[in-house]
Amino acid sequence: MSGTAKLKETAWCPGCGNFNILKSLDAAIDTAGLDRKRLVMVSGIGQAAKCPHYTDANVFNGLHGRALPAATGIKIANRSLTVIVASGDGDMYGEGGNHLLNAMRRNIGVKAFVHNNQVYGLTKGQASPTSEPGFVTKIQTKGVVLEPLNPLALGVAENCSFVARSSSVMPEHLTAMMAEAIKADGFALLDILQPCVSFNKINTAKWYKERCKELPADYDPSDREAAFAAALKWGDEIPVGIIYRGTRRSFEDMTTALAGEPLRAFSG
Amino acid sequence: MDANIRIAGEAGQGVQSAGELLTSAFHDMGLHVFSTQSYMSRIRGGVNSYDIRISDEELHSGREDCDVLAALTAESFATEKKNVARGGLVALDGAAGPDALSLDMTAAAKEAGGARMVNSVAAGIVFALLGYDIEPLAKAIGKAMSKKGEETVGANIEAARRGVALAAGHEGLVKAPVPGERRGELYSGSEAVGLGAATAGVKVVCSYPMTPSTGALTYLASVADRYRIVVEQAEDEICAANLICGAAYAGATAMTTTSGGGFALMAEGLSLAGMLELPIVIMLSQRPGPATGLPTRTGQEDLLFAVHAGHGEFPKIIYAPGTIGQAYEMTRRAFESAHKFQTPAIVMTDQFLTDAKKNIPELPGALDPVDAHIETAPGADYVRYAVTESGVSPRALPGGEAFVVCASDEHTPDGHLTEDLTARKAMQEKRMRKAALAAAEAMPPEFYPEPDETVLLCWGSTYGPCREAVDILRAKGRKVCMAHFAQVWPVWAGAGGALEGRRVVSVEGNSTAQFALLLRQCGAVSRFDSILRYDGLPFTGAEIARRFKS
Ligand SMILES: Cc1ncc(C[n+]2csc(CCOP(=O)(O)OP(=O)(O)O)c2C)c(N)n1
Ligand code: SF4
Ligand SMILES: [Mg+2]
Repeated sequence: MSGTAKLKETAWCPGCGNFNILKSLDAAIDTAGLDRKRLVMVSGIGQAAKCPHYTDANVFNGLHGRALPAATGIKIANRSLTVIVASGDGDMYGEGGNHLLNAMRRNIGVKAFVHNNQVYGLTKGQASPTSEPGFVTKIQTKGVVLEPLNPLALGVAENCSFVARSSSVMPEHLTAMMAEAIKADGFALLDILQPCVSFNKINTAKWYKERCKELPADYDPSDREAAFAAALKWGDEIPVGIIYRGTRRSFEDMTTALAGEPLRAFSG
Repeated sequence: MDANIRIAGEAGQGVQSAGELLTSAFHDMGLHVFSTQSYMSRIRGGVNSYDIRISDEELHSGREDCDVLAALTAESFATEKKNVARGGLVALDGAAGPDALSLDMTAAAKEAGGARMVNSVAAGIVFALLGYDIEPLAKAIGKAMSKKGEETVGANIEAARRGVALAAGHEGLVKAPVPGERRGELYSGSEAVGLGAATAGVKVVCSYPMTPSTGALTYLASVADRYRIVVEQAEDEICAANLICGAAYAGATAMTTTSGGGFALMAEGLSLAGMLELPIVIMLSQRPGPATGLPTRTGQEDLLFAVHAGHGEFPKIIYAPGTIGQAYEMTRRAFESAHKFQTPAIVMTDQFLTDAKKNIPELPGALDPVDAHIETAPGADYVRYAVTESGVSPRALPGGEAFVVCASDEHTPDGHLTEDLTARKAMQEKRMRKAALAAAEAMPPEFYPEPDETVLLCWGSTYGPCREAVDILRAKGRKVCMAHFAQVWPVWAGAGGALEGRRVVSVEGNSTAQFALLLRQCGAVSRFDSILRYDGLPFTGAEIARRFKS
């Protein structure tokens, strides 16, 4: 490959869950048989959002919270590209929450991998939309009082094409989920539970390992009510796996102007 | 010889469709037309008006007074009667008004098939008062309403005929210009911007609706199939700005349309386009602020905001078309410049220009894409942000032979983020070299008719009114000219020289003379007087001439 190689040195803390996510991502790209020249890794801003720079791929590292609009624009401009978003929970569920909702509604063929460490890492430990009630930070000094956002239940509610959860503490499962998401048509949301060793002393690797349980073999991801139930489950047991598969057609397939050759000015 | 016709009524009465019918009929008859709209931010009630100015000579602006007022409500009559010119006529629907022909338009409309057609009755009355044969109006009704079916067309033509009958005895009482040959085609400012974008090869348009920018968006949606454009309504303006950045990165020519409040939300995305060196185009159609301001009125209050929009320093190019023809040209030019300099370009219009309609020489409608300046064969050592002498780096697209990496963080030439401060300095200087390049190619102003002792300085939509003011003042022997800037940023380097030794009177639709301040900041003017308007209505030539003090 030419000119631009990935950054060799990461800016992550030793022991961070991001390392496993990156490994699984590389493995999934290969498992799915993707041509890296035709892959664009998109992110916003945060520790997780640096991930694209550590992959061999095209990279669009945009603004905090705005990965999905950019990814949508890229997919519209050239639907033959594989577009994967890798960004944090603050980025995707907080600052960019409205875009997540609308990416689901659009069912644009973008794969969103959310590194969910339930905290703002880069800005040093404030609450994120998925921080648990009672989580104490230097800002939320008496503990979080807001109800956590439930991205998976939102995905089911919006009849999203693919809704799944995995964790960096189970790398093989994670690789498999990523590969499934890449293969899915339409918008895919993969929530990845990830320990942050520096700022989240509650939801640690051990904590996730003890709770993450794969969905039973006879679980039917096309059953929307069962999917709601699975999406709402949180606590001593946290289900991981493909929670829901919707049946809607993708935005690309429903948009007349996107039939045929890519829209982009130059095709080669 | 010109005449100004004003249709006034409440929202929901079809004031706009009557205005459009008359505009198209007059144009077909071979008159020059210039029409403007004044409406309230509501769907029903209030006072809305539509002016159609006609002449046997080319027109450049509207007028404050009118020669025919067709008032569809008592309230619109009360508001507008003071604006009727001496010798003008008022046709008022219903009960007798002291200074008006009271014609029962609603009754006539009902007889023709329904009260809703009161606007067609009014159009018929206008034709009669001007002494014009009604056939061109009937044809215009047929053209405009063909989709609604023959019955609707027939009933509206009947309504117009009843309007003529109502005006019996008053035919031709208002002096009207003599029709000539049909000249050019009719366009609104919105259509001209939209057509400019479509022919320039725009492929992705993503916007959030906001008056007065919505017209251009609607127009683009209407031609999307013809030009193969994806027109997508964003969830908000933040999405719109970032989505077109993504589209531009992947190689699609992309734009968004918005007004002040939406543009404010786009500021971070604009800065992103500056950092990632992406060719995006934003049409910023102004209305008075601050905040929600006057949603349906006009103003030129966002100039300095646009010039300075976006955090950090990056090159930006801003056009401000003065005429409907320029709206087309400057939109195309915005796409050209954005691609050439790989940086955002903005086209500033306003409610006056986007809603105005005028007959102009037909605009080319064929697809004629601007040069996207794309590196189609990146070599083995390709990096996206190569530091070059011009500052412009070859732009390859993702999906080709080389990886295309970009980051909103400061980056090294390969696009990866960096905190190396030497690399940062080199990269900032590279980006700003493009600003210098763009400045060297900035457009000079148009002087009308030629440079003279006093200069009416203007930008954007004030072109037409200023030009008419110059004609009026020169006819009185004043040594006055106009200098109109269709590009407001970067400012043409010759501005200081061209204005030197002349008295400058800045004519602007804001309360602080923003463009004159900008020129002063650039050292192009030191002292200036100003004629400002910020009540939400456009200037007229007569008004500027009246307010001009030697
Ligand atoms: C508009 C804007 N607001 C705030 C920030 C500061 N900021 C950067 S990353 C971030 C939160 C990161 O949290 P998350 O997305 O969960 O990523 P993590 O670092 O935990 O991986 C914030 C608040 C910013 N860069 N831009
Ligand atoms: S701050 Fe937390 S999430 Fe960020 S790199 Fe360190 S451990 Fe990982
Ligand atoms: Mg986080």
